[in-house]
Amino acid sequence: MTESVCTYAGDRDEALVTFLYDDDSSVNGQRAAFAAHVAVCAVCREELDALRGVRTQLGRWTPPEPNFVIHQSISHQQPAVGNSAWWRTIPAWAQVAAALLFLGVAAGIANLDVHYDQQGLTVRTGWSRDARTNVSVASAGPSAAAPWKADLTALEQQLRADIRVARTSTASAPAAAMQPQTVSAQHTGDADLMRRLRAMVDDSEKRQQRELALRIAELLRDVNVQRQSDLAKVNRALGAVENNLGVEVLKTRQQVNLMYRASQVVR
Amino acid sequence: MTWTDEELVARSIGGDSESFNELVLRWERPIYALAYRTIGREEDARDVCQETFLRAFRALPGFRGQAKFSSWLYRIALNLCRDWIRRERRAPIVQPPEDVDVMELAAASEPSESIEDLVARKDLSRAVERAMSLLPDEQRTAIVLKEYHGLTFQEIAELLGCPLSTVKTRLYQGLTVLRRELAKGEAKRTKVTL
Repeated sequence: MTESVCTYAGDRDEALVTFLYDDDSSVNGQRAAFAAHVAVCAVCREELDALRGVRTQLGRWTPPEPNFVIHQSISHQQPAVGNSAWWRTIPAWAQVAAALLFLGVAAGIANLDVHYDQQGLTVRTGWSRDARTNVSVASAGPSAAAPWKADLTALEQQLRADIRVARTSTASAPAAAMQPQTVSAQHTGDADLMRRLRAMVDDSEKRQQRELALRIAELLRDVNVQRQSDLAKVNRALGAVENNLGVEVLKTRQQVNLMYRASQVVR
Repeated sequence: MTWTDEELVARSIGGDSESFNELVLRWERPIYALAYRTIGREEDARDVCQETFLRAFRALPGFRGQAKFSSWLYRIALNLCRDWIRRERRAPIVQPPEDVDVMELAAASEPSESIEDLVARKDLSRAVERAMSLLPDEQRTAIVLKEYHGLTFQEIAELLGCPLSTVKTRLYQGLTVLRRELAKGEAKRTKVTL
């Protein structure tokens, strides 16, 4: 038999919610008792179905996709040690010498001819040398033909030694505590972070564009609905005006007819 | 290896910041969703979410594990939401950027689902959001915690500091209001379509 009026003895609202969510952790047996009741109560069945529908609809509410940066702000509290820190510990004179060495190498690549002898320093482009000089330079040993080369070689060796020392001291310094492996790992980490950031920015832009497009589409739809509603109103108003006009015309015609008839009677 | 929340909390208290990051990664979405559904504004929900984790981070040494970490986090987030609601309740404002031709953008945008479907889906989502916004705070919070976070009645009661029966009553009343409002909204949408 099915009841058309609910006669559940206990607290119906609580029992209904318990049954709806299938959460009977606190009140043992309430759900079972209500299940037996639902089998015969059409009112409760109908309400349960409706509330299940509400729950389905609630499932459609999704929050917008967030952009999270919280963990980065917390995780990157340690001061970042750059991978170029080691060379900053090299003395300034050594850095200048390195620059000169670099210039020397660059000059060689650029086909420059640099002479340093008793007459002083001479710099010429390779294209201004004659073939004979070229041959003699090629046949002569580096120390005899170009004393600057020996100087540069010595300087290079000294620089390499200095850099090695600087690197070793940086690596063993407790303040920096930065091993070469850590440096390369940090480098990879930076690149990875940059890649992630770029991806996040791209995602964010796409999302914003999509959101904007959506809002515009909604706006267009709203405008369209409003326009149709306005048109309907205008139509109604025009109809009313036409009616009024028709009535006025009719009245005027009747008056004219009346006047005409009156004038005929007077004659 | 996957650590439990409680293990990660213990490691965080021991000074392992990576463990706390793991907790953040694990819980940021649920906390954001809770904040968004409670206060209804994306920006503010993000702020609440961030503030929740910052507060949790600061208060972590005092966390003794009387409750589950997630319940503790939910409580912080709900308190922040409550503060926010008390402070201000503003209408959402959406303004397109100045240098963007909105019509062109609407025409050019090619999302994976059609814009009509997207609008329809958003419409339904907004209808639910609108109906939820009509509920009193305590009913809305109960529904959000039950419906979207799957907490038991008992957990909700502990979290909100009220009797179990009150939680059920709030849920029932809230769902009943939602039923009415959603039916109203659906009728309105059908009318517009016709």
